[in-house]
Amino acid sequence: MAGTLIAARRPVIAGLGITEMGRVYGRSAEDFAAAAVRLAVADAGLDLSDVDGLLTNAGLAGGVGLGLQRRLQLRDLRVLSEIQSYGASAGAMVSYAAMAVQAGMADAVVCVFADAPLREGLGSSAAYSRPRPAVGFDGQSRHAGLTSVSARYALAARRHMAAYGTTSEHLGAIAVAQRAWAAGNPLAQMREPITLADHQASRWIAEPLRLLDCCLVSNGGVAVLVTSAERAAHLPQPPVHILGWAQSHPGYPDAGESSFGLESGAARSGPAALKMAGVGLSDVTVAELYDCYTFTVLLSLEDYGFCAKGEGGPFAASGALAPTGSLAFNTGGGQLSSYYMWGMTPLSEAVIQARGHGGERQAPRNDVILVSGNGGILDHHSTLVLSPYARG
Amino acid sequence: MTAMTITRDDASAAFFDGTARGVLLLRRCDDCGRRSAPRTLTCPACHSARLAWEPARGTGTLASWTVVHHRPAGGVPAPRTVAGLVQLDEGPWLHARIDGIDPSGLRAGLPLTVAFDRPLDGEAVPVFQSAD
Repeated sequence: MAGTLIAARRPVIAGLGITEMGRVYGRSAEDFAAAAVRLAVADAGLDLSDVDGLLTNAGLAGGVGLGLQRRLQLRDLRVLSEIQSYGASAGAMVSYAAMAVQAGMADAVVCVFADAPLREGLGSSAAYSRPRPAVGFDGQSRHAGLTSVSARYALAARRHMAAYGTTSEHLGAIAVAQRAWAAGNPLAQMREPITLADHQASRWIAEPLRLLDCCLVSNGGVAVLVTSAERAAHLPQPPVHILGWAQSHPGYPDAGESSFGLESGAARSGPAALKMAGVGLSDVTVAELYDCYTFTVLLSLEDYGFCAKGEGGPFAASGALAPTGSLAFNTGGGQLSSYYMWGMTPLSEAVIQARGHGGERQAPRNDVILVSGNGGILDHHSTLVLSPYARG
Repeated sequence: MTAMTITRDDASAAFFDGTARGVLLLRRCDDCGRRSAPRTLTCPACHSARLAWEPARGTGTLASWTVVHHRPAGGVPAPRTVAGLVQLDEGPWLHARIDGIDPSGLRAGLPLTVAFDRPLDGEAVPVFQSAD
């Protein structure tokens, strides 16, 4: 008897849910997660009773996990797992949902991320630099001054600068370009244009990273629903085909031969995902790149091959990334300017662009969309290739 | 910035026994001889789990660094810490505070030597200073 793996079950994203976002208080991460799932399911024209798969990714506040099944009273789930590779999780979740659908393991898999790190009255930087006891080898790092994610990322940025001559102004070009894109995004938290001078005047967080090199912090949730193209043909939204996916986790050694700061997992996950999709980098018309820091974008551009290794700074400074430039990139403003929902930020904007729902920021050519995810301190990477069109 | 007290755990106990004696300990693989960072538990070269402790020379160079600006408080400039990624001469990397060097003097490859911060409470902690 033939098995149930059906090659013709092409996976698509058929639902997208984005909750109220930003400085929204009085709701837990689980509250946001449940709301995002409801929104995604409604967007897909389905009911919660149609959901037979659920993948969850928790942020700093935790509280988003297997318990979401009971929270939403979902029955007989055929897929249910907590996924965690930090910023790479969204890409990973979508790939697992896609494979579950391809295998006939489930028909409607929701992938959700939500977080509520912001507390009323506390600055946003408090969320990602919370004090914790300095114990053991991590204590050694904290004693060194590495008490925040930003400080650890700054070591990566500095290494790149020392190796390739990248400058703070190069990073600023990325911040300025993304803010310009955000002007066209009604969902963005920060839409006022900034100049390079504004970037250079923003206070140091951990040199060489300034305030405007660092992403926002947001309370909220985002979910997507993955199903088969055949099912999606009966559903209200234009389907977003999931053509390729890959991950790369470098496992940098604590030693001189490490490529930490010089090369990220994008160098491997990018080509792998593009190969699965049957396209080349030159076919990519929209790039939604994880941008926890401007530096993350710069490194990703090099590693994907949009420019040569070490040339990310000049490439950014050339204006290529601006709305008037050659690459439709972080079209919603990204995590730097729109909202910080880890990997769901670039993914949600990619879905909007693929559907043709980008409004004044809609990329005119949206046929191949690259979506990246970075987790930890460049430790985890995922790439997705999405398209309004099925592969030929 | 308040002084930071470091507490040992099981994995770091031998390392902090070393710092208490003014010794910076590294790992050395019993099977292939590769030296690795103190927190290593599997040899990065041969995957052996048999790692011994060995004193380092205590010298290295600056592989990367960041000047961390702590929260400014009411008109007073933010205190700063120079956090370094030190490449020990034996090869392994270690995070350590860089003391006694003006940030304008920091550069990749700067020669460094270890010293030990000995707070009143908690463990003695390696820091690095200019080797010159």
